[in-house]
Amino acid sequence: MRRLADPINLAALGFALSLLAAWQLLADAHLISPIFFPSPLRALTVLQQRLADGSLWLPLAATSLRMIVGWLLASVIGIVLGAAIGTSRFARELLDPTLEFIRPLPASAVIPVAILFLGLSNKMSVTVIAFGAIWPVLLASVHGFSSISPELINVSQVLGFGRRDFLRKIAFPSALPDIVAGLRVSLAIALILAVVTEMQSSLPGLGWDIFSAQRVYRSADIYAGLIMLALLGFAANHLIQFLERRVLRWRNLRA
Amino acid sequence: MQPLRKDVVAARAGAEAPSALSIRNLAVRFGARTILNAINLDIREGEFLCIVGSSGSGKTTLLRVLAGLARPAEGAVLFEGTEISGPSRDRAIIFQDYSKALLPWRTVHGNVALSLEARNVPAGERNAVIEKLLAKMGLSQAQEQFPGQLSGGMQQRVQIARCLAQEPKLLLMDEPFGALDAMTRQTLQDEILQLAAERRITTVFITHDLEEAIYLGDRVIVLGQSPATIITSIEIELPRPRSQLTTREDSRFLAYRHRLFEMLAHESPPDQSRGQS
Amino acid sequence: MRRLLLGAIIPVSFLIIWEGSSQAGLLTLESLSRPSDILVAGYAALRDGSLMLATLQTCETALLGLAIAAVAGIGVGAILGLLPTAERIAGPTIEALRPIPAIAFMPLALMVFGFGVRLEASIVAYACIWPILIVTVSAVRAVEGRLLEVAAVLELPLWKRMTKIVLPAAFARINVGLRVAAAISLVVAITVEIVLNPRGLGYRLILAQQSLQVGLMWAQILWLCVLGYVLNLVLSHLGRGPAAIWRPL
Repeated sequence: MRRLADPINLAALGFALSLLAAWQLLADAHLISPIFFPSPLRALTVLQQRLADGSLWLPLAATSLRMIVGWLLASVIGIVLGAAIGTSRFARELLDPTLEFIRPLPASAVIPVAILFLGLSNKMSVTVIAFGAIWPVLLASVHGFSSISPELINVSQVLGFGRRDFLRKIAFPSALPDIVAGLRVSLAIALILAVVTEMQSSLPGLGWDIFSAQRVYRSADIYAGLIMLALLGFAANHLIQFLERRVLRWRNLRA
Repeated sequence: MQPLRKDVVAARAGAEAPSALSIRNLAVRFGARTILNAINLDIREGEFLCIVGSSGSGKTTLLRVLAGLARPAEGAVLFEGTEISGPSRDRAIIFQDYSKALLPWRTVHGNVALSLEARNVPAGERNAVIEKLLAKMGLSQAQEQFPGQLSGGMQQRVQIARCLAQEPKLLLMDEPFGALDAMTRQTLQDEILQLAAERRITTVFITHDLEEAIYLGDRVIVLGQSPATIITSIEIELPRPRSQLTTREDSRFLAYRHRLFEMLAHESPPDQSRGQS
Repeated sequence: MRRLLLGAIIPVSFLIIWEGSSQAGLLTLESLSRPSDILVAGYAALRDGSLMLATLQTCETALLGLAIAAVAGIGVGAILGLLPTAERIAGPTIEALRPIPAIAFMPLALMVFGFGVRLEASIVAYACIWPILIVTVSAVRAVEGRLLEVAAVLELPLWKRMTKIVLPAAFARINVGLRVAAAISLVVAITVEIVLNPRGLGYRLILAQQSLQVGLMWAQILWLCVLGYVLNLVLSHLGRGPAAIWRPL
């Protein structure tokens, strides 16, 4: 990604543009139904309109907020639980079988249960998101905390660190690379579940926006929503990468 | 914590020279296997003791017991008159695998600071202490670098610096130079001798390199095959300070080497593929 | 043995407390029926065949989507893997499409296909193609240089190079991607059924919730756990089998 004018980058851009151009041609020639596949120009026009009149910002904000809150909740619980399980063999033996059984359950399967308890609300959405997003970060944390080098554990014992200092100064930083990897996957899942819960429960957001656009066959609006989702996913991913680079600075340095 | 045994009490009462470390009838087992058996040893204060033995003879296990990281099945270890019941800052241990014993996410400065944090040295005073120590170990230039950026020898120096920052009374070293190239090894050998002499720290040094043991030690003890006992204890009467060039050419050095070599060849069976040290 | 006992403590005590407090009237939420009721409902659903039918429907749709994704993903991935320039050109487009959740395409797919198998399979395919594609690209690229040299010396055309040398060598890694995608396929299929498609396990689940058949709902969730667990078991065993065959390669 060094210079934007790099021939390869131009070629990549050209490739993407040619796909769009092909789509445009097919739409113009009515070879594909304009109802389902409006021309890219139409989609972009609608996108621009809705950005200008502000009707896309609220759904974007709503989905983002939901995603982040659910993800944060899952992260905190996941890391704490992961630390407890990862540093105690007893806790692992106690909890492992139960967790192994619940884990394969698709997070969306919890939606009906959540609806029964919490109705079609934001709380329901965030709960489902947290339930689904917790697994990657939990498993990564367990792995991270259970693979602290024995030498470091000995060093901590010899230096006389209590449990709190051990967790803070040695265990947590040691597990951090694994945890961050888990956080990245969790965020992706949080986005997916945010969209799913919105579609299911007509909560305001990009998911619901796309869903309701379909109802009235406004396909250009569907694409506008999809583009916004792509941007959101892209931004979320880069947020994590940025976090990763700052926190794990030491990994990339070599002799 | 085991109650003091009669022989231990007797040993304490009858001690003449100050013994930093007293090992009485030590036995260590892993399940059904006896690793160490009937170990009796007195280590004088300020002594530089080297332990050699073939692979799998329990050298590391012995060191870990001295560090308080392993519990004996029988017997006791007395450090400065009190029985060891667990790890302590007074007894620093330096591991062979330095990369696993350092904190990769902290700089050299930060790694050494860890010991000072453990000793609750007030934050304001830490820098001065750390900088002096780093200068002593030749790490001043590398202060703000991470262990991953350093060579093996430098990393081991960081580990030593961190251990010294603990202000230990006993230094336990588990084949610390085993993974380093010959030149770095020699440099560090001399450095450690100098440090130990300056600070008068009692040192227990494990190595499989006979020449290293003779070069460094005031005394060399040989550990036999598992269940290991002390086969022999040889006082090294070579002048100090030692010199890589002259000491290693000394006829006494060669005599010691001959003796130890024969002893170990006698000890080890043809098949060497046993567990770890 | 000890592990089995320790691990069973939590679920067993949980069940006992749940059942006990329901019987004693301490727990009266309608959303929490009793374990005994759940078992009864589950058994009934099994006996009348509705559960098995729904399972079959979900599995066949997931498999269909997975198959489409596998063919497309491996095909395109192999090409991109062999031609690094092509990969760099197509890369940004792929990176732009990948972060869009597959389920976001549900309304679009609904417009195009209407309700039914194609709707679901297309979403599953979109979701599964990315992991397969990415794994295939890296697997193909990692194929030993010498094998490729042999192919070049024999002057094999691209198509033959792919099928006779590259793909068998890359198989083990591609296998891993397929297993990941298999797990994804089931999850996505069920999600589509919960939100939209009136067919399969997901649909039955949301139906049970909406008709307040709470016991049945929980029974189905339990069934999903079992299904997922068994799937994971099968997949990890499959992972050992074919890979072991290819390892000497």
